[in-house]
Amino acid sequence: MTREEAESLLFREARFLDERRFDEWLSMFTADCLYWVPTVDGDPDREASLIYDDHPRMQERVYRLLETKAYAQLPPSRTQHNISNVEVLDGPDERSVRVLSNLMLVEVRAGGDGQVGTGRLRLLAARCAYLFVDGPDWRIRQKKLSLIDRDLPHHNLSFIL
Amino acid sequence: MKLKPGEMVIDQENDFRVHTAAYVDPVIFALEMERIFEQTWVYVGHESEVPEAGDYQTSVVGTQPIILSRGDDGAVHVMFNRCRHRGSALCRDERGHADQFCCPYHGWVYGNDGALQGIPQADGYPPTLDKSALGLMHVPRVATYRGLIFASLSPYGESLEERLCQVRKYVDHWCDRSPIGKLTLSRGIHRFSYPGNWKLQMDNGVDGYHGNYVHESFLKVVERAGETSVRDVTELRRTGYVRGLSHGDGLIDRPYGGMAGQFDYHNPALTEYHRLLQEAYGAGRTATILGQQNVFLFPNLFLFESHVRVIKPMSIDHTVVEMRPVMLEGVPDDLNTARLRTHERFFGPAGMGAPDDVEMFVNVQSGLQARAVDWMILSRGLHREVRNEDGEFVGASTDEAPQRAAYREWRRLMCAEPPGERFPCT
Repeated sequence: MTREEAESLLFREARFLDERRFDEWLSMFTADCLYWVPTVDGDPDREASLIYDDHPRMQERVYRLLETKAYAQLPPSRTQHNISNVEVLDGPDERSVRVLSNLMLVEVRAGGDGQVGTGRLRLLAARCAYLFVDGPDWRIRQKKLSLIDRDLPHHNLSFIL
Repeated sequence: MKLKPGEMVIDQENDFRVHTAAYVDPVIFALEMERIFEQTWVYVGHESEVPEAGDYQTSVVGTQPIILSRGDDGAVHVMFNRCRHRGSALCRDERGHADQFCCPYHGWVYGNDGALQGIPQADGYPPTLDKSALGLMHVPRVATYRGLIFASLSPYGESLEERLCQVRKYVDHWCDRSPIGKLTLSRGIHRFSYPGNWKLQMDNGVDGYHGNYVHESFLKVVERAGETSVRDVTELRRTGYVRGLSHGDGLIDRPYGGMAGQFDYHNPALTEYHRLLQEAYGAGRTATILGQQNVFLFPNLFLFESHVRVIKPMSIDHTVVEMRPVMLEGVPDDLNTARLRTHERFFGPAGMGAPDDVEMFVNVQSGLQARAVDWMILSRGLHREVRNEDGEFVGASTDEAPQRAAYREWRRLMCAEPPGERFPCT
């Protein structure tokens, strides 16, 4: 995989998220994937993560956002995922590559006058580590997103990072 | 019209109300710190967070910064995080390990028990300077119950043991989900910050009424996964009780826990865990332990099935909430992993349930800007609650008896002039 190919995959993922095309986003992942947003370095079986999703749980997240009254997303977050610092590294085997990138995510929820907690732009920054596997097309087997403020308080991360 | 704090809680027949000002007036917040958080026993940490001599973590009692440290003597010390010289905070890290605390400003050095060990260029002070009087200021009282560490900034009043009188048995049930009665808190912490009053979290954590509405989204997720139907959950929510206890404590107490995506302790596949519990406690007590009990210890601690939750009031309309998942000791590892995965599904800022609760806190804080409406109504179930032989106010599972217990205590404390001078500790 060239860096240009990696960028085009990450840009596509970002576009799917920002345009709320979550089903297409899901289809970029393998069935045995892991989507991980840790709070601390450590054993994810002992230390709580913000997100530790397998594919079924990612589907739940998408279902919740698209089909249910999820009040933390009413009104919904508008997001802009900005990707930079893309590097392509060898994967653990010939069929896979690791892709590192930085994410700067701008998010806002609109709201009427007099509302508390909405109407302000928020910035999130993260280091991302992907594992892509080759097949008919490249799929994401792992997405690990390390927020720079992962162990600090957050108001609402109920959109997809 | 300006109400006194004692007038902000109306408690009469079929009528229980709390005034808006309690949630929006900064003067009330300052008084809450002085009369509630600096007078009562406040939870400050768990022994498993400072297991070894030299381990420490920083936190707050009310809004006052503290260091919770395990001294070389093995004792837990709770000290204000402030150099006695010119006031600099000593520890900036949230947790760590230190034999000494050295002030970054002028290099004063304290032991991990708070004793002042050294002053650089000490010839700048007369030889009569009494270093023993200049150790880190300890909070007046520290006490531990079953690994839970509490501090009181007041040297007066009840012992922790007396204070825990009614709630103790529920704390015991909670701790005894471990067959050896031992818990370890996860270092992976879910932290919320919301622009709303701290009591909104207090009110909601023992609220059995909101689930069907706020968590409709999560119930649909659970139903879609084929776990429990929304109808079944709605029925289950009608079972059990709420209890309002002494000292502002309270709980939701349902006999069956495994509902609405909570961890299902009754899953027959947990044979080994059930055997361990029954060996330790017998069948009857095991059934009690495996129920759902969300316990609130006024003013800042919740014991939930999966986690310890701490309320940190920052200002009248800014609150931090910490959820620290609990690992049960003496059980198969995969039980804790499964509990953690269940916890993450609902809780935390990226969970599929808790952000909807926090959204309600913010909704309320938004609505309360309409100060022309004076009162919040907390009378649900007041007409049907009974006082049992233990003195508990027992209501149906969606009633507001625990909230009333909290506000009765809130009013009592807010009206009481604190005894003695403030912080007569040395």
